[in-house]
Amino acid sequence: MKMDSLDPRIKRWKLQEQRQEEYSSSSLDQLPTYEVFIQLKEGKAFEHAGIVHASTADMAFLFAKEQFSRRYSCTGMWVVASEQVWVTTYSELEENIYDHIGQPAGEENDPQDDFDVFHLYKRGKQHKHVGQVKAQDTRMALLKAKASFDTGRPVLNIWLIRSINIQASTPEDQVIWSTLSEKTHRDVISYRAGDKLNKFKEKHNEG
Amino acid sequence: MYGGGNIFEVNKSDNLNQEDPVKLDEFEARIARGEKVEPSDWMPALYRKQLIRMIEQHAHSEIIGALPEGTWITRAPGFKRKMALMAKVQDEVGHAQLLYSAAETLGKSREQMMQDLINGRSKYSNIFNYPAFTWADSTIISWLVDAGAIVNQLANSKGSYGPYCRALERICAEESFHLKYGHHAVIHLATGTNIQREMVQGALNRWWPPMMHFFGPPDKISVHTEVLTKWKVKMATNDECRQQFLDMYVPKIWELNLTIPDPNLRKNSETRQWEYSEPDWDEFIRVINGDGPCNAERLSVRRTAEERGEWVRKALLTKEAKYVTPLA
Ligand SMILES: [Fe+2]
Ligand SMILES: [Fe+2]
Ligand SMILES: [Fe+2]
Repeated sequence: MKMDSLDPRIKRWKLQEQRQEEYSSSSLDQLPTYEVFIQLKEGKAFEHAGIVHASTADMAFLFAKEQFSRRYSCTGMWVVASEQVWVTTYSELEENIYDHIGQPAGEENDPQDDFDVFHLYKRGKQHKHVGQVKAQDTRMALLKAKASFDTGRPVLNIWLIRSINIQASTPEDQVIWSTLSEKTHRDVISYRAGDKLNKFKEKHNEG
Repeated sequence: MYGGGNIFEVNKSDNLNQEDPVKLDEFEARIARGEKVEPSDWMPALYRKQLIRMIEQHAHSEIIGALPEGTWITRAPGFKRKMALMAKVQDEVGHAQLLYSAAETLGKSREQMMQDLINGRSKYSNIFNYPAFTWADSTIISWLVDAGAIVNQLANSKGSYGPYCRALERICAEESFHLKYGHHAVIHLATGTNIQREMVQGALNRWWPPMMHFFGPPDKISVHTEVLTKWKVKMATNDECRQQFLDMYVPKIWELNLTIPDPNLRKNSETRQWEYSEPDWDEFIRVINGDGPCNAERLSVRRTAEERGEWVRKALLTKEAKYVTPLA
């Protein structure tokens, strides 16, 4: 089938004929995923925003900036490879998942790693950062999280991430968001047309 | 942006007899309680399959929808319009990313979705198989096609699948800018010179029929989807969405003194329903099955973009080369 197109790419790329052969790409051609967390204001908790596909954490950070902080300014961003997130099961019927977790049995021997702990309070919402614990493994980190962050308010699901695996923005990085307030062309307020419309309607109704 | 009118196909083989009745009960009870379903929850195979299909179609619609508008960026009249349209098209591609990620949580990889799109095995909104002849077409798309998309997306954002709802919340927030920008641009043309008015009227004439197709075939000839409604996958019927769209936008078109190219369009004051000439559903089926004015070029451009980017993605996956000083 000949393509007679208004799309300039058709000419530029010489795509005159429709190709019949199947398209296939190599495995993982679309790159692995990273989870993105955003802090909207100084002092507020980091919150999960979504996923980006990238080959490295640095690249994930750039993509995340474009995808999740293109419109609204924020004060911090974390990215972490999806495979580095350790996830509990979801509790049923709004039970507190911590109720199914025991108490730490005495002191462990020299806890080494920092873990960041995230809570989900309601299905359909995003996971929120609640703090850090020191532990030697995720099992121990979960017990410590219960000791530190279980307030009795139902937590439906918990994520644990070794802090070392989080690529975090630094205070110097905040300049990447400093021009956002100038980009009013992305915002509804730049497209008010009520006056023009009313003037037109008045004139039209008179005539 | 996005088209409504998902074509749901419920096959005979999709019956729920193979599902564990206890788990199915719990699943349905969760939805009835108004709780969202999350990726690791048990779900019936049919729920997973239809959601993948719907979210994937939605994602494809966003990137394919960026094509007709994208070609107008360089020719948009003036710096402000270029900036606005560029921001809008960037949003649409971002929507695709959000949606592909949501579909991926159900177990279909992005690689597979790309391949199915390019090989014509999965659909996208039919409306993007039509060409944007003039600048006015681009403004009508930004206003009315996005308006239709918002009707659909707002309904879907109340659905039962957590990741899809979260993606839609972000998307709807950005769509309000698209709608305002599109309306602003159409008002500018419609209140302008005679040539501008003719241009925008011409574009409206071209886009009205596909816009009437946008929400899909009428309920009376659509596949029955009671189970998908019960599971909060399908949140409003095609006709409900179409009526809502007409209710919100016909008055806004008329106040610009533009003519909608359908002499039978009127609101019945007794039934409170819009009446209109029945759209050509044969054309709709023909175009959705590949025989529209732009089907071939849309997939061709998408495929070429994918192929041209392949070496970059390959390079990114290869470990960094390390410099070692030669020995002798
Ligand atoms: Fe759109
Ligand atoms: Fe849009
Ligand atoms: Fe969109």
